[in-house]
Amino acid sequence: MATPTRLTRTLIRSSLRPLSKPITARHYRAHDSPPPAPFTPAESAILSAALSHVPANGFTSTALRLGARDAGYLDASTNLFPRGAFDLVNYHLVTQRLALKDAVQFPAGERIGVGKKVRTLALARLRANEEVGVVGRWGEALALMVQPTLVPASLAELARLADEMWFLAGDTAVDSSWYTKRASLATVYSATEVFMTQDQSAGFKDTERFLDARLEDVMRVGGFLGGVGEWVGYTGHSVVNVLRSKGVRI
Amino acid sequence: MSLALLPSKAIRRSPRPQYLPVLDFLAPSWPSWQPIARKACMATSAPNAPPSSPPPPSANPPSKPLTKEQKDFLDSALRVNQAGELAAVLIYTAQTPPLTRAHPHLRPLMAHMYEQEAGHFAVFNALLAKHRIRPTAMYPVWSVAATALGWGTALMGREAAMACTEAVETEIGGHYNEQVRVLLEWADERRREGAGLGAELEELLGTLRRIRDEELEHLDIAVENDAKEARPYELLTDVIKGGCRAAIWVTERV
Repeated sequence: MATPTRLTRTLIRSSLRPLSKPITARHYRAHDSPPPAPFTPAESAILSAALSHVPANGFTSTALRLGARDAGYLDASTNLFPRGAFDLVNYHLVTQRLALKDAVQFPAGERIGVGKKVRTLALARLRANEEVGVVGRWGEALALMVQPTLVPASLAELARLADEMWFLAGDTAVDSSWYTKRASLATVYSATEVFMTQDQSAGFKDTERFLDARLEDVMRVGGFLGGVGEWVGYTGHSVVNVLRSKGVRI
Repeated sequence: MSLALLPSKAIRRSPRPQYLPVLDFLAPSWPSWQPIARKACMATSAPNAPPSSPPPPSANPPSKPLTKEQKDFLDSALRVNQAGELAAVLIYTAQTPPLTRAHPHLRPLMAHMYEQEAGHFAVFNALLAKHRIRPTAMYPVWSVAATALGWGTALMGREAAMACTEAVETEIGGHYNEQVRVLLEWADERRREGAGLGAELEELLGTLRRIRDEELEHLDIAVENDAKEARPYELLTDVIKGGCRAAIWVTERV
């Protein structure tokens, strides 16, 4: 175990940076330079250690304190995390989102539909809650996330997750469907996450079924709206063309 | 409005040098957007002219990561470009049927301009997807507005349609040149530090230059096709230019 003084100094230095400000998905991504790491080494050490205490202690400041102690820091170093337990939740959300691209690999040769890829990705992300062991305590995390002051941060992270999933699924549409796709996936995903906290079935089979049913709903609604749009467009074009053929100058 | 005051014939007959690489270097340092200056700048590089800026002397200088401000700039700039090209494609799509019906000889011209705009739109769609930039939230609004603008001006006649093209391309050409200038400033800044722009930005710079020149070629075409004869010319072009600027302002933000 390293000396507490040195560690405190490291912590103070690292805390000069705005704390664990997650990299936003919403600006230009340069491909010739990698994005900066979302957490400093000290933050990562404490938070990842704290996460292993979540199954026993929940998303609480106790887990944070125990984590800091495990990582060799003073109890007071939890002051680095002004949002307390929410910073722990946020760490889990960010690291799992960034881990998604390595967790799911689609075979290069096969042609898999984007919808199927999105389902696989959403399921993989839900399974990560189980693998890290926080699924039993996820209700607490959700309760933290819906606190009024934390809602913007939670929604932003949800949006980033939805964006990541569509990106990894290989979707390249950049029209108005960009927004509807992300909004509907975020809705489906968060509903499934809530369902998962109550799921008692073996291997979370019910959660899987729930996810499939919600995705199907979205596709049905999307298909209907798409059909309406197509009909309106077709009728409009026909009317204009008929009028043109009658010699109307439009 | 020096361009507006010039008789259109003078512009049409003005000799256009085929290739003047020097002026392309000057483009970024022009302090303000004088239409005459733009004409000269446009004339310097015909679409198939070789790239007028030589590559930096050192073959592969190390590039450095972009700052947050630079990323934000590229984010909003590319979003505006995509929205602009969407509007351009829709304007030409809406203008073509009424216009070619009344003036069949314009068909190849309209097809040529439409094809170039469709090409630009595809370029920016690919860039947005690659760099994970969100499209503008006003996408449906701009779609409707651009279609209405194209259709409306085409119904007003050939001159009005060409005046619309002239106004839009003036704004768009200026906008692209602004971006080229910013990228060249970055390149200068980095050269002083011994770094390069990086392959990605070099390519973007080349793309923006090419597209700017093609947009300004459309501006030329519009002026050659009696855009100045539109009545009321000043009102029409000023309203469209104002609309373009407002749309750019909004798109940079949402």
